[in-house]
Amino acid sequence: MTNDLAIGMAGAGGDGVIAAGDALIGAAARLGYRAIMTKSFGPQIRGGESSFRLRLGTDPVFNAGGTLDVAIALNWTDFLRFGAELPVDGHTTVIYDTASRVAPDDLPLAGVTPEDAIAVPIEQMARDHAGTDKAKNTVVLGLLAEWLGLPADSLLAGVRKRFAKKSVEVLEGNERAFAAGVVFAQAHPIRTDQRLAPPRAAGAGRMLVDGNEMCAAAAIFAGCEFFGGYPITPSSEIMQWLSREIWKYGGTMLQAEDEIAGIGAVVGASFAGRKGMTATSGPGMSLKTEMLGLATIAELPLVCVNVQRGGPSTGLPTKSEQADLFQAVFSAHGDVVRPVLAPVSVADTFRVTVEAFNIAEQYQTPVILLSDADIAQRKEIVDPIDTSAFTIVDRRRPNGRELEEYVRFQITESGVSPISYPGQKGGNYLASGIEHSERGAPTANGEIHERMNEKRIRKFNSLKSRRDLFTIEGDRDAPLALLSWGSVAGVAFEAAAEARRDGIQLKVLVPRLLYPVSEEVYEDFFASVRAGLVVEQSYQGQLFRLIRMFVDVPRGLASFARSGSNPIAASEILHRVRLMVSTLQRGNVPETAQWLE
Amino acid sequence: MNGTRTANDYKSDLKPIWCPGCGDFGVLQAIYRALTAIGRPPHEIAFVSGIGCSSRIPGYTTAYGFNTVHGRALPIAQGIKLARPELLVLAAGGDGDGFSIGGGHVPHAIRRNVDLTYVVMDNQIYGLTKGQLSPTSPRGLKTVSSAHGSVEDPVNPLMYVLGYGARFVAQGTPADLSGLAALIEAGLRFPGFAFINVLSPCVTYGRADVQLKAHKAMMKSLDALGHDATDRLQAMTRAAEYGRQLHTGVFYRDPDPSPTFEAQIAGRHRAMAALGALRSRVLEAFVVS
Repeated sequence: MTNDLAIGMAGAGGDGVIAAGDALIGAAARLGYRAIMTKSFGPQIRGGESSFRLRLGTDPVFNAGGTLDVAIALNWTDFLRFGAELPVDGHTTVIYDTASRVAPDDLPLAGVTPEDAIAVPIEQMARDHAGTDKAKNTVVLGLLAEWLGLPADSLLAGVRKRFAKKSVEVLEGNERAFAAGVVFAQAHPIRTDQRLAPPRAAGAGRMLVDGNEMCAAAAIFAGCEFFGGYPITPSSEIMQWLSREIWKYGGTMLQAEDEIAGIGAVVGASFAGRKGMTATSGPGMSLKTEMLGLATIAELPLVCVNVQRGGPSTGLPTKSEQADLFQAVFSAHGDVVRPVLAPVSVADTFRVTVEAFNIAEQYQTPVILLSDADIAQRKEIVDPIDTSAFTIVDRRRPNGRELEEYVRFQITESGVSPISYPGQKGGNYLASGIEHSERGAPTANGEIHERMNEKRIRKFNSLKSRRDLFTIEGDRDAPLALLSWGSVAGVAFEAAAEARRDGIQLKVLVPRLLYPVSEEVYEDFFASVRAGLVVEQSYQGQLFRLIRMFVDVPRGLASFARSGSNPIAASEILHRVRLMVSTLQRGNVPETAQWLE
Repeated sequence: MNGTRTANDYKSDLKPIWCPGCGDFGVLQAIYRALTAIGRPPHEIAFVSGIGCSSRIPGYTTAYGFNTVHGRALPIAQGIKLARPELLVLAAGGDGDGFSIGGGHVPHAIRRNVDLTYVVMDNQIYGLTKGQLSPTSPRGLKTVSSAHGSVEDPVNPLMYVLGYGARFVAQGTPADLSGLAALIEAGLRFPGFAFINVLSPCVTYGRADVQLKAHKAMMKSLDALGHDATDRLQAMTRAAEYGRQLHTGVFYRDPDPSPTFEAQIAGRHRAMAALGALRSRVLEAFVVS
């Protein structure tokens, strides 16, 4: 029995690979397991190869990564196309279709000989029992139900749901295909250590949701009344979900003619007093920056979501990367501080999106929410969220006395000024992208410019002391540290847990607030640290470099970073942590590059 | 609506930065008159512009003004109107704003038909940046950025918007101030996207033959020509003469305008409000059953 199982499956378009994954994670959610499922596709618009990987456990799951425990290849050509996304080792149970005519001791896996390789006549069974090879995925579900010890009823419920609108023949055919899979598996038992332990509790109230949908729903919760955007992979689902839902809450969405107009309409809606959001990715983010600058100087709240993909330019549109941090932080001309937040999971996306709206409102600023393709596109079983624990912040409105002689950009102690909206009597003012006086009059006066810059930057001081926007765990005095952000943080959490099980003293820092950099939070954290790693998915190691720009870091802090579309496994982090331990034991604090050997 | 309001109610304390004799002064006067005629209180008006000499104009009114970035007045104005449909929304800018850097937004404002009025102050030159070629500059024009003369055709703003299906298209000049005020008022009253091209001379960088004096001599009222403003093809025939003739008046006014964007979504909002969705319960949609 195991508490943690990674399943990967690949096949051709039309094989129903994703539907099988959906059925598995749906059943897992109902049964009370925790899971994360990622999907991956070839570059074709339709009909290309597709795959899923599902990390299934009895305890909370932090990432979908790691070597597969069970790999299912409907055909080898498509399976191998996913390369490092579906890694197999000697421990993996490999299930594949006999139709491939590959011998179990001659699998096309370079240098890897899996302990168990089982050829199953999947296609033949689908034809024999359902009358169509379209039921291959249902055969696989039957196999897995038996082999992994998942209750058949729960999986069948998903199958029935899927074919509810089809004819009785189709439904019955699939039920027979499923049963055939179960029978085959009973006749060909596999090692028992691949069987999943029973769930710890029933899954009542748990949600099954992906990161983009969670972001959109969180925006509604936070009070989003307007969305403007333009379709772009991998963020489009945010707009799509809102195009269906936002009207129910009295909100409005606009699919604009381009990325600039999408955020432009949000700037307009915010000026008009409504909470607004836009969402984009990669090249779209480049186009948004002009409007972000305008919203910064006009001090208008808005949330701009960037679901990071591989870049630069078109880059790798469907693959996750964390290389837009520099852009988020620095993509403005002029002296600008613009809050940048990043969630670490689908569940976390709820909280961080609500925070993004609240910070935008409180500080009257655009906020960049850096999600990534991995979080955005993966499905996660999410524990119920106590939404009553959240506060919703609204921008500071002028009171009656302030409206008597309204000063829109009044320099206050906090740096935040009361903001009116068209329609509010007495609040009339000129908003502008041009530098302006406290009353909003255009100016090129150096003294006023200095004062307004000071106001617009000083107002974020209190944000930097929001320690609740950082996760810090582990022994306070630990000499070793891991830092990570975004989806990759899930891998770091897993590696840290494993290191601690080995008795290694290690602490972890994961920021949700990436910018402005909170010097005090990092300095406190680094006080005990002699060596550590900043783990992230960008070639340059952008968080590592950003922290060093503001904070003196320990000499033994190194970057562990690589480009997107190259998953980082917990085992790789652990390997480096052990190197750190042995080096420190020898009494050395090595040069940073040494960790990467 | 409110007969007691005067033009002074719409005048702000800011002093225009324009050169003495600039056509934009006349446009500003015409806007004061049009707003006075309509009579909405200034706090119910949003006035949005882009960048350029003419885009300074919102600050010279007491409306809620927004002097945005180059070419982007229309997306922002649409966001304002969709966020608060009860507002009177006016957008303005120059020919560079509307037909060069922001040209891509115009067709979509037209087809989306959000109820706002777009006044372009077309001076056929870049004034704020000191005299470069603009999208409506005539072929052959020598400027600081076309030292040997332009070899490009100008944009015809009237054909541009008529071709994209604009439902209200007019042209005026500050040389006929009361006519211009009446056109802006008509645009503001039109239920949908309204476009008004104003030939507004640049006294500093503009050609001698496009100054107000020349306009006075050249301008011909479309009404006097017996133009039928309900006929889009006739409007296009007249519009094709842009650059050769100075027609003033309404080229085209859709006699049966389709509903605005915001009117259509208001119906959707009413229907969906019946579902009684609560923001606090938005996550329930994701709970596994």
